[in-house]
Amino acid sequence: MLFGDVDFSTLVLPDAAVRLRAEVRAFLADELGSGRIVPHLGHAQFDAEFARRVGERGWIGMTWPKRYGGHERSYLERFVVTEEMLAVSAPCATFWVADRQSGPAFLRYGTEQQKQTFLPRIARGEWCFALGMSEPNSGSDLASVRTRAEKVPGGWRVNGQKIWTSWAHEANTFFCLCRTSPDEGDRHKGLSQLIVDLKSPGVTIRGIRFMNGAHHFNEVFLDNVFVPDDMVLGEVGAGWKQVTGELALERSGPERFMTTFPLFTELVRRLGRSTDPRARQTIGQLAARFDALRRMALAIAFEFARGQEGGAVKDLGTEASLVKDLGTFFEREITDAARLLIDIEPRPDADDAFERYLAECIYAAPIGTIRGGTTQVLRTIISRKLTGVA
Amino acid sequence: MNETEDIRSMLVDAANRIFADHCDQACVEQAKQSGWSPSLWRVLEDAQITRVSVPEERGGAGGSLGDIAALLRIAGRYCAPVPLAETAMLAGWMLAASCAEVPEGPLAVGPMHRDEPLAADRTAGGFTLSGRVTRMPWARMARRLVVLFEADGADWIACVDPARCTIRAGANVAWEPRDDVRFDAVSIPAADAVRAGPGVTRAALHARGALARAVLMIGALDRALDLSIDYARTRVQFGRPIVKFQAIQQEIARFADEVAAAAASAMAAVGALERGVPGIAIGCAKVRAGEAAHAGSAIAHQVHAAIGVTQEYVLHHATLRLQAWRSEYGSEVEWAERVGATLIDAGADQLWPLLTDSVA
Repeated sequence: MLFGDVDFSTLVLPDAAVRLRAEVRAFLADELGSGRIVPHLGHAQFDAEFARRVGERGWIGMTWPKRYGGHERSYLERFVVTEEMLAVSAPCATFWVADRQSGPAFLRYGTEQQKQTFLPRIARGEWCFALGMSEPNSGSDLASVRTRAEKVPGGWRVNGQKIWTSWAHEANTFFCLCRTSPDEGDRHKGLSQLIVDLKSPGVTIRGIRFMNGAHHFNEVFLDNVFVPDDMVLGEVGAGWKQVTGELALERSGPERFMTTFPLFTELVRRLGRSTDPRARQTIGQLAARFDALRRMALAIAFEFARGQEGGAVKDLGTEASLVKDLGTFFEREITDAARLLIDIEPRPDADDAFERYLAECIYAAPIGTIRGGTTQVLRTIISRKLTGVA
Repeated sequence: MNETEDIRSMLVDAANRIFADHCDQACVEQAKQSGWSPSLWRVLEDAQITRVSVPEERGGAGGSLGDIAALLRIAGRYCAPVPLAETAMLAGWMLAASCAEVPEGPLAVGPMHRDEPLAADRTAGGFTLSGRVTRMPWARMARRLVVLFEADGADWIACVDPARCTIRAGANVAWEPRDDVRFDAVSIPAADAVRAGPGVTRAALHARGALARAVLMIGALDRALDLSIDYARTRVQFGRPIVKFQAIQQEIARFADEVAAAAASAMAAVGALERGVPGIAIGCAKVRAGEAAHAGSAIAHQVHAAIGVTQEYVLHHATLRLQAWRSEYGSEVEWAERVGATLIDAGADQLWPLLTDSVA
């Protein structure tokens, strides 16, 4: 049974997290009210200035040690910050990946020098990491990556191509998953993660426009790119294990069910004081689905928090896949509900938030169930865990 | 493990043993005719399981709402044909919260609907109760009917001997007793009635009943999912177990999604009620359980194919209860409408605060 041992009746956020929520809410209300940030739905937006302001507040790298610029706060406080940002679709792309995946990966596998180099900059909101995982022929089947690194004096020479790399054109670095020794039967062996400076010679970044013209995806070409030895993350050859650990972090958070949340809020605004039973039922259903997702994501955050306090941590990686599977459908259900309840034409150029959000959600609708693990892959993971059969 | 968790896990172990030994397919099948299993009830009573969450000073076994919820989930898993929810979580609560002793034996509760009030007239020695409760669970096998009624502008609770009422036997789609009870000027001595305690209202009873059903439902969902997994692993077609087919794997995962979401929601609502801040949590739980029942039952039957719809195979006990319990104490439509009204009336700027404050 998934979440088998979790007692959902006892998951109550600690007072510190509740107090922090009020602070974050006030900060975001000010950011929105002053027009410094403008929400766009579907893809987290890149905003270097916003990242610095969030960093100043101490809300990036919250759980990391202070000696690396972190704030030694709990995963539950981080959860609150994350969900507050998502509730208003704040432009978090600059620090999202680094805060969620790269930072924790450094803490787990990084050298002292790497931690000192990268973590304080990430925490200040000054350093952006992208994800160098997918390749043209390696999407869901990540272990088939063909980008390869050859040993050369003092480092590695990398050749290959990454694709669907969000914000590579703005990011400083990415963890490049590549083959450092040939596939000899066990394809999960011989993979490594190299920290690649995206400004280094031999790196070419070419944008892939999303269907509405937005630029966040890229192709990244690596042509004899030199990566020094001290920029290998963790062990050479242990890349697969490291990456799969990252995926659990990538799939469990509220960003997997909240990217269309502001449309939900604006839908309620549009409904005014409606007493239409159909409107009430639909809003009630959405609330119930949201509530269940949130409690599952919270349960995973509680588990991380237990780990922080030195307790034994259950592996909830499959549960994270489950949250993402259900969550990405929920995001679309908000859009569907909005269209069925409010009969207007969605307009990408509208001044009205509801109309514009609706259009943005329509553009984003197909991608949620693809990025970060497709529905079908997630369901295979879930089924395998439950049945023991691949 | 702290002491509370210790007691909980002892209770859960005991309940699992009892249900495994005394609530098999034959027992549940037989209850379609007789309405319930008196022998299972006696074993549960002897183990004090029927009194969990009722304070000891009121004749109970002590324990928390979380404890009885954990037991109800197991009862739901085994499709136990006994009024455990009604006796411990509903009647036991109504009486104990009104400082009254909880009588022995299986208990039924009413009214079942928020808009079906029972009224009584004050007499010299007590009350005269008239009116009806429709589709009261287990009324005909209850030792006492514990009913909430109005008199003199206040709420009262009485324990009525069912022999003094007119009962028309009925059933839900899973053949659990759901009886229409008529009270024809039943005289209730003052000693058999108490003023309803703080928080004991028709709406609160209805909400608590909905939560009890949501918890039973996640037990039945657990069972239907486990049966589906076992069946898919053993049923061989085209030369291999059907679980080897991705089409089946995807369905099982979908099913697991639903069960997990419903369970998270129901148990979180138990915690919210226990802390005295139910908010929209109970409504959300009943909605989510109903949705999971809808999707989950269909997948369970599809995975099982024809064997799943037969009387001899156990699956239908779980799936028919899911369908029955969906409607009881408010369907997902009724609860969704209530939750939606709360959120729409509060307005857009309160949506996010209300959704987050429900978990503090």
